[in-house]
Amino acid sequence: MQTLPNSLPTQVTFKGTLEGLRLLIPVALPWEEVALQLQHRLNAGERLWQGGAVVILEVGERLLDGLQLRAVTEMLAAQQLHLRRVCTVRRQTAVAAAVAGLSVEQQEAPPEENSDKPPALREQAEPLYLQTTLRSGMSLVHPGTVIVVGDVNPGAEIVADGDILVWGTLRGVAHAGAHGNTRALIFALRLRPIQLRIADRVARASDEPPAAPQPEVAYIQDNTIHIAITTEFARRW
Amino acid sequence: MSGKVIVITSGKGGVGKTTSSANLGMALASRGKSVVLIDADFGLRNLDLLLGLENRVVYTILEVLDGECRLEQALVRDKRQPGLALLPAVQRRDKSAVTPEQMQELTGRLAEMFNYVLIDCPAGIEQGFRNAISGAHTAIVVTTPEVSAVRDADRVIGLLGAAGVGEPRLVINRYRPQLAQTNDLMSVDDVLEILAVKLLGVVPEDEQVITTTNRGEPIVLAASPPPAGQAFINIARRLEGEDVPLMEFKLPAGNGFIARLRALFTGR
Repeated sequence: MQTLPNSLPTQVTFKGTLEGLRLLIPVALPWEEVALQLQHRLNAGERLWQGGAVVILEVGERLLDGLQLRAVTEMLAAQQLHLRRVCTVRRQTAVAAAVAGLSVEQQEAPPEENSDKPPALREQAEPLYLQTTLRSGMSLVHPGTVIVVGDVNPGAEIVADGDILVWGTLRGVAHAGAHGNTRALIFALRLRPIQLRIADRVARASDEPPAAPQPEVAYIQDNTIHIAITTEFARRW
Repeated sequence: MSGKVIVITSGKGGVGKTTSSANLGMALASRGKSVVLIDADFGLRNLDLLLGLENRVVYTILEVLDGECRLEQALVRDKRQPGLALLPAVQRRDKSAVTPEQMQELTGRLAEMFNYVLIDCPAGIEQGFRNAISGAHTAIVVTTPEVSAVRDADRVIGLLGAAGVGEPRLVINRYRPQLAQTNDLMSVDDVLEILAVKLLGVVPEDEQVITTTNRGEPIVLAASPPPAGQAFINIARRLEGEDVPLMEFKLPAGNGFIARLRALFTGR
């Protein structure tokens, strides 16, 4: 079951980590083979996990659609393994996973051969556009700007390196500029978050809801997070 | 026959899943439908108690799955409502006793025998929940107007979507109109705004539900059901596709006045 160094991996692999089990699905393997291998690994009664363990699915550049993600979820569930998160560099896979109600971590594509940019100037990924309601327990991590058309409910979380725009009501936790960008912004048609974070700043929404619901924006000024009505914010900046 | 398989679930415990299951099953049966209630809360069974059928349970779902008895043998028929049957849960074993595939197969067989297969789901979102939802076509999510229950209902709605169970519908149980009016508890609109699913019904809080439940007589069986019982009957009618308007909750005059005074002072 070992893969030789310097050759493309051809095995579905489990790795035990502190956070949980990492399930690595190689890029080059046909889906039927992936499903078969995974089922075999699971049937083999691995000693790596105990019932109830959580799994982080790492698919890298591989594309997975909703049906395939559901198949993986079900296979794991049959062994009492719980799929907690999908890590992918592909947008389609991230969207499919989010639509399937899974937590997503969209990673950056591995650097190109000629990549000689200093890490400080790393580029953000393309914006992630989602038309869905993020419900309690879902978490979305994206190395760029996130746009949600729908509500972000209490108990849900968005962590973005760029801005966060919610075309709906934001009631969960939003973290913009997660890699330290203090100019990141959080917009919502209705801003009612449990907690807001921009870069390394944290703010709790006031207990008193504003009189008239208006689109608002959260930004950093003088090292603290402020909230303004979007139209007034736009006039000032 | 191809019956509807509906799972009754909530995430949080104690919001009235089992009470709702018993009452909806009974209400549908009294409308002439054949109904089977599956108690999927293995290890913590009590649907049989609520239906007053405890002393007639011989076999359970596990004996059926293990092939120790025929499905028909395990079904407990209700004497008051011959259209209603119960498939009891096992008491000795825990939730890992069955697999989702087994549940799918079983609910499929039952759907050929009954108009409605109602699955009473255990609390939580672990294996027992996954088993219970695996054979369901649609879901009824039960919540109370409390933030914790609504939060868990939201999580469950997300999980149901991920598992491919059709559009869930909501029952708000133990509703307290007075507290909602004074903003001390979430109102129907508050709950719907967060969950954004179709509302199937609102059941008012009623002590009679507790006492009748304790006697093993679902409240819908009462000769003239109180508002809570009527609410369950209305939900059953809506399940049947009837267009029944939501019940108006009349606030007791005294309370209404105090509530208004209070609103005046607190500015709410």
